[in-house]
Amino acid sequence: MSLLSARSDSFVPSRFLKNQFFAISMGAVFTAVILITWPKIGSWLLSANFLPHAYCYLKNPVLVWTHVIADSLIAISIFAISLTLGHLGYKGRRDIPFHWMFLAFGLFILGCGGTHLVEGITVWVPVYVLAAAVKLFTAAVSLTTAAVLPFTVPHVFELIQLARATEQETAELRASEERKDALLQEVHHRVKNNLAVICSLFYLESIHSRHEDTAETFRDMENRVHSMALVHESLYGAENLARIDFAEYARSLAEDILASHGSPSVPVRLKTELEPVTMGADLAIPCGLILNELVSNAFKHGFPEGTEGEIKLTLRSDTGGRYTLCVQDSGVGIPTGLDFKTNQSLGLKLVRLLTQQIRGSFELVRSDPGTVAHLHFEVNQNAY
Amino acid sequence: MRTDPISTEPRALIVEDEALIAEELRERLSRLGITVIAAVSSGEEGVEIATRERPDLVLMDIRLSGAKDGVQAAKEIREQVDVPIVYLTAHSDRRTVERAHETEHDGFILKPFLKGELQSTIDVALRRYAIRVKEKSQ
Repeated sequence: MSLLSARSDSFVPSRFLKNQFFAISMGAVFTAVILITWPKIGSWLLSANFLPHAYCYLKNPVLVWTHVIADSLIAISIFAISLTLGHLGYKGRRDIPFHWMFLAFGLFILGCGGTHLVEGITVWVPVYVLAAAVKLFTAAVSLTTAAVLPFTVPHVFELIQLARATEQETAELRASEERKDALLQEVHHRVKNNLAVICSLFYLESIHSRHEDTAETFRDMENRVHSMALVHESLYGAENLARIDFAEYARSLAEDILASHGSPSVPVRLKTELEPVTMGADLAIPCGLILNELVSNAFKHGFPEGTEGEIKLTLRSDTGGRYTLCVQDSGVGIPTGLDFKTNQSLGLKLVRLLTQQIRGSFELVRSDPGTVAHLHFEVNQNAY
Repeated sequence: MRTDPISTEPRALIVEDEALIAEELRERLSRLGITVIAAVSSGEEGVEIATRERPDLVLMDIRLSGAKDGVQAAKEIREQVDVPIVYLTAHSDRRTVERAHETEHDGFILKPFLKGELQSTIDVALRRYAIRVKEKSQ
């Protein structure tokens, strides 16, 4: 049984009790209205053919004023309390269980306040019939409240039990969430470890290759898998284990590519201007692979024979959740006549395929100096 | 038997439970002029060989398959032998780093390895150790 259904079944008192309470309350209000509006009854109510209470106090000023001030303060406080209860009962009628009980207490306290107010008046004006009517009204309301209140006790206990059950369920859900996070973290760890093993295989193949071209191919493959492993490294450290800080990832990846291709003596600097954005692995992995190709190409083809230069990596947001990733180098520039849309090198082919996969667009143009590559793509803020 | 880690060919011990990763490390280290005296897969073996052979460098995976993980093994080694220890880890997140900081160590190397990073981390670890030894002898 769900918590919601339990609440709807258990915490609304029986229609009979509610009807009974409202009938008596409405009767009391109706009687009060009739008594006040009917002139004869009204004048009878307000008849003052008695001795005021001040005589009972022998008009002792200290005693008289003590009674008047105390009754007035009690009446003011009680009216304020009843107003608050009435407001609470009305505003919380959809959310607070037994909201009608707040209204009942409000009405009861209102009657009590009325009796104190009239007590204060009768010190000088002996409207004892009015005082009796107010007491009668208070008696009717308090009797109704007292009669209905015991019936709510079982429901109050059910409410307490439900609150405890909810607390327990919340704790269980939290524990389950923590277990799920730990499991997911373990998955990312194992995936990254397996990718590290694949990198080792490529490395071992590359050093055992007899031909430099073959060795180069294995080194490229190692770098591609490394770029994927870095996504899992970022996911492992990410707070929600699902979306990564792409700016940080792109910076690490570019630094790693330069570290793996170059040596401290090769003077190619990396400059980054990256706007922060988070994205899921589905987008980060293809973007990382594209970035790997672009930075590797810039390094390998832009700066032949260890020439000095700079590779600049930029990520900026455009409109509508779209982003542009630029890789610009100050190298020798792409050969004249190179058409990246038809070029058959594996690197550019991967860029074309992966751009298509992320529904993005890609441009590769000569700049002065060097080459600039633009990748435009959309980041879904909710995707994982 | 200890050698001077900087002036001669240093001797390293690898503690890594993934055989292929250990083999890659062996190859990469040999290209850096470092002799690998052994590559073992458990923390227990690591402690035994490190205390017996006294290498110039220990490369220690943090997550090991046996009962003893890399941090425990490193702690035991450091209690018996003064040797630079460089951790190998798939992750550099806060929890892993905090765990590693439970022992005195000389660096981290993230898997998969990068040529430049591996070389610079090992170089720094060996030089730090050499300075430590020199300070002790003075």
